[in-house]
Amino acid sequence: MTRAPSIMAKTVSTPLILIAILAAIAIAVDAFGSGPLARTVIEMLIRVVLVVGIWIFVGNSGIISFGHVGFMCLGAYAAAWLTIPPMLKQISLRGLPEFLLENQFPFWPSALAASLLPAVFALILGPVLMRLAGIAASIATFAMLAVINTVYSNWSTVTGGTSSVIGIPTVTDVWIALGMASGAIVIAWLYAISRSGLALRAARDEAIAAQASGVNIERERLIAFVLSAFVCGAAGVLYAHFLGIITPDAFFLTATFVALSMLVVGGINSLSGAVIGVVFISVIIQLLRWMERGVQVGETTVAIPSGAQEIAIGLVMIVILIFRPAGLLGNREIVWTSRREPRVARTQPAE
Amino acid sequence: MQTTRRAALFGAAAIVSAAMPAIAEEEDIVIGFAVAESGFMQAYDEPATQAALIRIEEINEEGGLLGRQIVPVFADTKSDRAEGARAGLEVIEAGADMVVVSCDYDFGAPAALMAEAQNKISFFLCAESVRAGIQGVGPHSFSASVLAAVQGATMAEWAHEELGATTFYVLEDTWTEYNKGICDGFNWRAPQIEGVEIVGRDTFVNDDASIAAQITRIRNLPEPPDAIMLCSMMPGVVSAVRQIRNAGIEVPILNGSGVDGSYWMDAVPSLSEFYIPVQGSVYGDDPNPAVEEFNVRFEERFGARPSSQYAYPGYVMVDLWAKAVERAGTTDAAAVVEELEKMDEEPTLFGPRTFTSELHHQNRARYHIVKVTDGEPAVVDSWTIDEPIPLEVLLQ
Amino acid sequence: MTAVLQILFDALSLGSLYALGALGIALIFGVMRLVNFAHGDYISFSIFALLWPTTAATTILFLGQVPPAVLIPFVILIGAGVSVLSEILVFRRLRDANPATLMIASFALGFVIKNLLLMLYSSRPKSLSILPGLAQQVEIGGARIPLLQVVTVAATIVILIALTAFLKRTRFGLEMRAAAQDFTMARMLGVRANRVILLAFAISGMLAGAIGLAIVVQTGTADINMGLSVMLVAFIATVIGGLGSLYGAVVAGFLIGGASVLMQVILPLDARPFRDAFVYALVIVVLLWRPQGLFAPRTAKQRV
Repeated sequence: MTRAPSIMAKTVSTPLILIAILAAIAIAVDAFGSGPLARTVIEMLIRVVLVVGIWIFVGNSGIISFGHVGFMCLGAYAAAWLTIPPMLKQISLRGLPEFLLENQFPFWPSALAASLLPAVFALILGPVLMRLAGIAASIATFAMLAVINTVYSNWSTVTGGTSSVIGIPTVTDVWIALGMASGAIVIAWLYAISRSGLALRAARDEAIAAQASGVNIERERLIAFVLSAFVCGAAGVLYAHFLGIITPDAFFLTATFVALSMLVVGGINSLSGAVIGVVFISVIIQLLRWMERGVQVGETTVAIPSGAQEIAIGLVMIVILIFRPAGLLGNREIVWTSRREPRVARTQPAE
Repeated sequence: MQTTRRAALFGAAAIVSAAMPAIAEEEDIVIGFAVAESGFMQAYDEPATQAALIRIEEINEEGGLLGRQIVPVFADTKSDRAEGARAGLEVIEAGADMVVVSCDYDFGAPAALMAEAQNKISFFLCAESVRAGIQGVGPHSFSASVLAAVQGATMAEWAHEELGATTFYVLEDTWTEYNKGICDGFNWRAPQIEGVEIVGRDTFVNDDASIAAQITRIRNLPEPPDAIMLCSMMPGVVSAVRQIRNAGIEVPILNGSGVDGSYWMDAVPSLSEFYIPVQGSVYGDDPNPAVEEFNVRFEERFGARPSSQYAYPGYVMVDLWAKAVERAGTTDAAAVVEELEKMDEEPTLFGPRTFTSELHHQNRARYHIVKVTDGEPAVVDSWTIDEPIPLEVLLQ
Repeated sequence: MTAVLQILFDALSLGSLYALGALGIALIFGVMRLVNFAHGDYISFSIFALLWPTTAATTILFLGQVPPAVLIPFVILIGAGVSVLSEILVFRRLRDANPATLMIASFALGFVIKNLLLMLYSSRPKSLSILPGLAQQVEIGGARIPLLQVVTVAATIVILIALTAFLKRTRFGLEMRAAAQDFTMARMLGVRANRVILLAFAISGMLAGAIGLAIVVQTGTADINMGLSVMLVAFIATVIGGLGSLYGAVVAGFLIGGASVLMQVILPLDARPFRDAFVYALVIVVLLWRPQGLFAPRTAKQRV
């Protein structure tokens, strides 16, 4: 840890700048935007938490995970179990243990506990999954997602099955979402500059050399896996308290691919990429939505047909990937330097 | 794509002048539709929305509601839950006195919750879960359709009485709550009937590429059942029916209303012994001639006849809400809810409707039974279940 | 005995779909490390090409009433066409991208195709009864087997034999196998990369068309998501079979189909809705047991 202070000082501008960008958007929308627009921003901030959570594992280990939305599912349902009024729970979630059925917990303690559940789950399953590498690990994480989805879709007495679970207090506002997004960024940054994060990225880039230098890859991967499960769980908590209603299929393939797309478009190897990817795609989607609804141009209203937004966002993503295969940010982090010389995160651990 | 490019050109302008839905005049009554205009749910929301528009136009032609015109405003949910909540908020901000939400409970609930949070009445276009109402969204929420469980229970009673069926096989598609709801109703009613026996059960998932194993299980029964209760929905149900018939199983198949419509029946050549409960007939043979008149009006207005009975709840919804507003003399939510809850066997074009302070949904309803013979659907009977379905059964 | 035969055929016919899907995915993965998530959408696209674009509930067949001798090649060619087009328009421009970027690009492409179909046709399933002659049954060893199952299995076997012959007996095939095993080495030995990749896309697309046909004959409906579940399983089968091993992908496809049918048969009623959870848990177990897949080519090395 002797190197930590210098790394910390060198890299601290990245999380600060990222948080400042998000805060600027939140403040601007809060001051000038409408209610629906504020909801768009909250949704974006929740996605930031999720994608940053995924990045902690995927970005540092280099293993594409299809399973992290499953952690979001675990977190969201745990939040529901803890915060739905007992009256409602006793009707729709009768299979819950006594202490959950009879109590209702306040948001923050519940949020912490609900985020810990996926972390514990990851800690139990991780030692097995982390033995795999490359595409086999990706498939295993996908299988994990499918198992979680099937179980939550059918374990009716505890999860309500395919039926929506309703009655979750809708407390997520712009500031809570911004706070959690900032927290996620700070956690991700602290992990990235920690001994484990450095070792894991070293192993990602030069596996054999890292192993020869005494890096226990499985252990470092497990740490990242558990930490990222925690953050993704928090995204689930936020989501549950945002919509007030959850179903298992909200946490399945579509959500997985949307999150991974944002990560890859931003740049999979950098924390800035994770955040910028979410912001960028969210902004484009919002612009397209406005166009769908119609834009006043002089006398006439110009509108693109309903449903064209989805097609357009797909095309935008393809074009970005063709011109910037490593994502918008490449492998770089956004840093504050007077010489405007972006630091290349990737080479850092190899020094 | 031309428009896309032009629109992109003015993208900057778009940010500034984000057009809100047409703002209604002060004295107009506004019904906000937070429904899917694109994506998966669009095909299911559109017919009921169109039917609702017909009723709105009728009321306006007759001089309006409380002497005021009804103006519909729209926001697209894009078949997405978070978008749905936002669409709900948008129509509320556009001044909606009542919020219409997506057909399906899961997709409609986020917008309905937005309305509930502001003490506005919300109506699900055709949700058939008990949670689309007090038990889920809250005391201002209603559904315009009938509970799925009623369909299952109707099939159990009717098949026993009229087909003389005593042995049933239950095949449940666990994909959605709607499917499970049909089976819940069937499973509640069938065992109560003297002499009825459920000889086997199995499950599948809507998108299973093949249900060969499930079919083999049916065929290996010592005696074929008198009827199969199939609790499923589009699109998987078509595949299931086709595979069952192709396997040479010709016993009657009982269904929920989700399979109504002849548009898919080409997929199962000369389909017969196939039974569907419907609120009204789209096949031109409804016992009530006014229903056929509605179908014709629908075609004149939108270019095609309703493709299934799921257009009708949209009409019923506006009809009932407008009546309640008329009686209350105001669009104020609390007063209108009170009037709605007084409705007991209130006649509508598609059968009587009842709301109470416990249930904003139909736990008993008159259904027409459609029988498909050689690919031709026709109404053969009408049926109302003996007992309303108890709340405990619906909530299990 | 007849019951066993019946189950065997159920498993074989489901497995056939998965095997063909796995083969389509494995072919492309072999030559360019692309996990092609648009594959499922090629399946739907090749079928929807038979229909006239309309969002109305009724289905208007555009090319559906033609005799099977025209219909089958048409669907297969459409599959090949959309696949080849996506290589030329998208993937060729991503040659140097890493697998994650490729994968997301393929997902975005699939997303575009899917939403295009959604806009043109709406999400309502379209019914089309093609090849109705297959809706019969045949007696095999006392068991009554739907003719379609027999045809699906037979067609799969024919396709596999034809493909094997193509890969073993022709120069293209040799190049492709070489490329699948070690792409860089093959290139150095004079294999023309773009040509091999294009060919892989063409064959993969044809397989997608064939799967589309098999599904549509079985279900009688075209649905926007019709290819999704097959593609996901196929994707898993490709990995379990051993990446780079076409033979392994096929066997794994059959194994997953078999496991799924077997679970449906042996699980008690209360556990049956959880069938997929058991199947996927089995997938994890197999991966732990053989991380390189069941039939990994000897050249494959684990990247630690």
